[in-house]
Amino acid sequence: MTVVDRVVTWARIKSPWILHFNTGACNACDIEIIAALTPLFDIERFGIVLKATPRHADVLVCSGPVTRQIKDRLMRIYEQMAEPKFVVAVGNCACSGGVFRGCYNVTSGIDSVIPVSVYIPGCPANPAAIIDGVVKLLKTLEAATRRPAPVEG
Amino acid sequence: MSEQETIRTELIAKFPFLADKVRSPRPRRLWAEVPSEKIVEVFDHAVRKMGFSILCTITGLDQGASLGAIYHLARESGVTLNLATSVPKEKPVLATVTAHFPAADAYERELVDLFGFEVQGLPPGSRYPLPDDWPQGQHPLRKDWNVAMLEGHKPPGEMNHA
Amino acid sequence: MHKPHEIKVPMGPQHPALKEPESFLVTLSGERIKELGVRLGYNHRGIEKACEERTYVQDVYLVERICGICSHSHATCFCQTVEEIAGLEVPRRAKYIRALIGELERIHSHLLWLGVAGHEIGFDTLLMYTWRDREVLMDLLATLTGNRVNYGMNTLGGVRRDISPEQKQEVLKGVDVLEERTKYYIGIATEETTILKRLSGVGVLSHDDAIRLGAVGPTARASGVERDIRRDDPYAAYDELSFKVVTTDTNDVFGRAVVRLLELMESYSMVRQLVNNLPEGPLTVKAPRKIPAGEAFGRYEAPRGEDVHYVKANGTEKPERVKVRAPTLANVQTVAHMLKDRYLADMPIVIAAIDPCFSCTDRLVAVAEPNGTGKRVMTWDRLHAYSIEWYRRRGVDFSRLNETFRAGKDRE
Repeated sequence: MTVVDRVVTWARIKSPWILHFNTGACNACDIEIIAALTPLFDIERFGIVLKATPRHADVLVCSGPVTRQIKDRLMRIYEQMAEPKFVVAVGNCACSGGVFRGCYNVTSGIDSVIPVSVYIPGCPANPAAIIDGVVKLLKTLEAATRRPAPVEG
Repeated sequence: MSEQETIRTELIAKFPFLADKVRSPRPRRLWAEVPSEKIVEVFDHAVRKMGFSILCTITGLDQGASLGAIYHLARESGVTLNLATSVPKEKPVLATVTAHFPAADAYERELVDLFGFEVQGLPPGSRYPLPDDWPQGQHPLRKDWNVAMLEGHKPPGEMNHA
Repeated sequence: MHKPHEIKVPMGPQHPALKEPESFLVTLSGERIKELGVRLGYNHRGIEKACEERTYVQDVYLVERICGICSHSHATCFCQTVEEIAGLEVPRRAKYIRALIGELERIHSHLLWLGVAGHEIGFDTLLMYTWRDREVLMDLLATLTGNRVNYGMNTLGGVRRDISPEQKQEVLKGVDVLEERTKYYIGIATEETTILKRLSGVGVLSHDDAIRLGAVGPTARASGVERDIRRDDPYAAYDELSFKVVTTDTNDVFGRAVVRLLELMESYSMVRQLVNNLPEGPLTVKAPRKIPAGEAFGRYEAPRGEDVHYVKANGTEKPERVKVRAPTLANVQTVAHMLKDRYLADMPIVIAAIDPCFSCTDRLVAVAEPNGTGKRVMTWDRLHAYSIEWYRRRGVDFSRLNETFRAGKDRE
C-alpha cells in the first residue's frame, strides 16, 4: 500500500461521503436512513456526510427493489462514482426485492443491477442496523486497500 | 328513509332501466350496474344533479369476454355511489370524464396502460403508470397476462450475484 | 456484470445517452413557471397484480408496504374492505386499537412532514428538532407493535396484539410530551416572520379549485374544504370519538402547515379518548380463509388524505381484484395548478406541502429555458439548493433561526 493509498484510505475511513438513492421503495427505509442522521442516532459522529452528487460519493446507500423506470438511472449513478466505491443495500427490498419480489415492474433488488458490498436487511432496516452496516463497511475498508475489480461476465 | 334509500329511489325514477340494478348493502354504500350505452348519461346526472362531487377513483376489471369499469363517486355526506359498467374486450371503449373531473386523467390512463381500454377524449399526456419501454399490447392486469411474458424478467428463486 | 467506468455528466443540455425520463417538466417564461408536467410511475411496483396472486392474509402484509408512512392506513383500509365482503363484525376493542395506531401514525407522519418542510425551505434545525420529537412516537409504536414502521397490527377480523395497562400509561405520557412540543411549534409557525414570508401566499389553491381538482386531506382542508373521512364516512372507532375537522382559509402552504399542526392537537385528544375509554373484549373475530364472492369499497383518512380500496372476492382464498388509490395521486394533480405563474424557487416547498408519498429527493427536473432556447436537467438536490439561494437573495434567510435553534437559544 503506497503512502498516497494510506492517506486516501485513512480519509475514507474517517469520513466516508455517502449518496442516498431510492430505487422505487415505499420510503420507510429512506426515512430510517435520514433518521440515522438525526440527533438520536447521529451517524455524523462517524464523520459520515451526505453528498448530493455521485462524483463526490464513496458509498452509494440504496433503498428499494429497483423498478424498471429507475434501473438505468441507478446504473448511471454507479458509473459516475469514482473508484473505490461501495454499495450498501438498505432494507429487504434492496437486498432481494422483499415483498415485491416477483412483481412485474420490479427487478428484484439492487444486486440485480449493480454489485453490492453490504446488505442490511429489515423492513424497514432499523437506523441502528444501518449504522452497524456502514461501520462494518468501514472496517472492510480498513482491511483492504482497494476493492478488487468486479468479475466481468 | 335513509339517505342511500332516497338516492336509490331517485335514480330508478330517473332511469327506469336501473330498476333492479341498484343495491345498497349497508349505510353510505350504493352499487349500480349501468349498461355501457347509458353510463355517460347516468354519470352526468349523478355528478351534476345529485351532488356526487367527488370521484374517488376508477377501477378496471377483467371479466373474461368483457372489461369492466367502476366509477367510485362520493358526496360530502359520505355516501358513495359505485357505477359499474362493462364493454366488450375486443373493443373496450369508454368516454373520458375529465370534463367533470379534470384530475381523472390519471385514473383513466391506468385503465389504458393496465387493461388496454381506449378512453375517448382523454387529453394528451405521458402514460401512467407503466414505463416508456413497456412492450406494446401487454396489459398486466388482464387475467391472461403474467410476468413470465415480460422479456428478460428473472423469475423468483434465482438470486443474482455480482 | 458490466465494467464500471466514469461518465462525465454535463449539467447543460441533456446528454443523449441519459434516457431516464424526468419526473418534472417545467416550462419557464422569464423566471415564472408557465407550465408544469408531473410524470409519475417510479414507484410503480405491480402491487395490484401481486395481490391477485397471493392470499388475503399475505395481502395484508403486502399493502402495508405500499407506503412506509401510511402503512397502517393501507392495512386497515384493506382489512375493513375485506371484512365487509365477508360480513365480519370486528370487536369494539379491536376497532379502538386500530384507531389508536392510526392516530399515532398520523402524529408521526405530521411531525415527519414538519421536518421535511423545514428542510425544503432551509430551516434544517427544524428537521432535527421535529424528528427527535418524532422518536418519542417511534418508541411508542415499537413498544406497542414490535416495529417502528410496518406494524403488522392488523389481521382479517381484528388486531393481532393487545395493549397492556402499562403501555396505556406510556402512550399517555408520550402524548403529553408531544403536545407541549407541538404548542411550541405552533408558536414558531405563527410568530416567526421569516416563516410567514416564506410560506404565505405560496402554492395557492382556491377553495373552488381544490374541489374541482379533487384535492384531499390537509391540502384540501387548508383551502377551506371541510372533508375528513373520519367524520364523513366513519370507520374503526371514529364514530365514538369527539374531534374537530381542522380547516383554514389561507389556501396556501402556510395553511397546510397550520392544518397539520392543529390536527396534531386533535390527534393527541383522540389518543387520550381511545386509551381512557378502551373497551374490554376480544381482539378478533374468526375470518374465513376463503372470502365469499362479493365486492366492497373502503375509505380511510390517511395522514395525507383519503385512501380508498376496492376489493372483489370470488369465493377463493385469493382476491379477484384489489384496487388502491392512495391520497397522493389525488393531490399531485393540484401541484401544476399551484405552481402556474409562480417562481421555480417555489417548486420544492409546494410539492413538499402536499406531503407526497413518492420520494422526491432523487427525481430529475427538466427545465425548458425561457424563449425555448433549450432544456437543462437538474437533480432535485440542485433545485433545492437553487430555491434556498433564490429566497436568501430576496431577504428570506433561515441562517439566524438555524443559529438560534442550534445554540438552544430558542428556549430562553
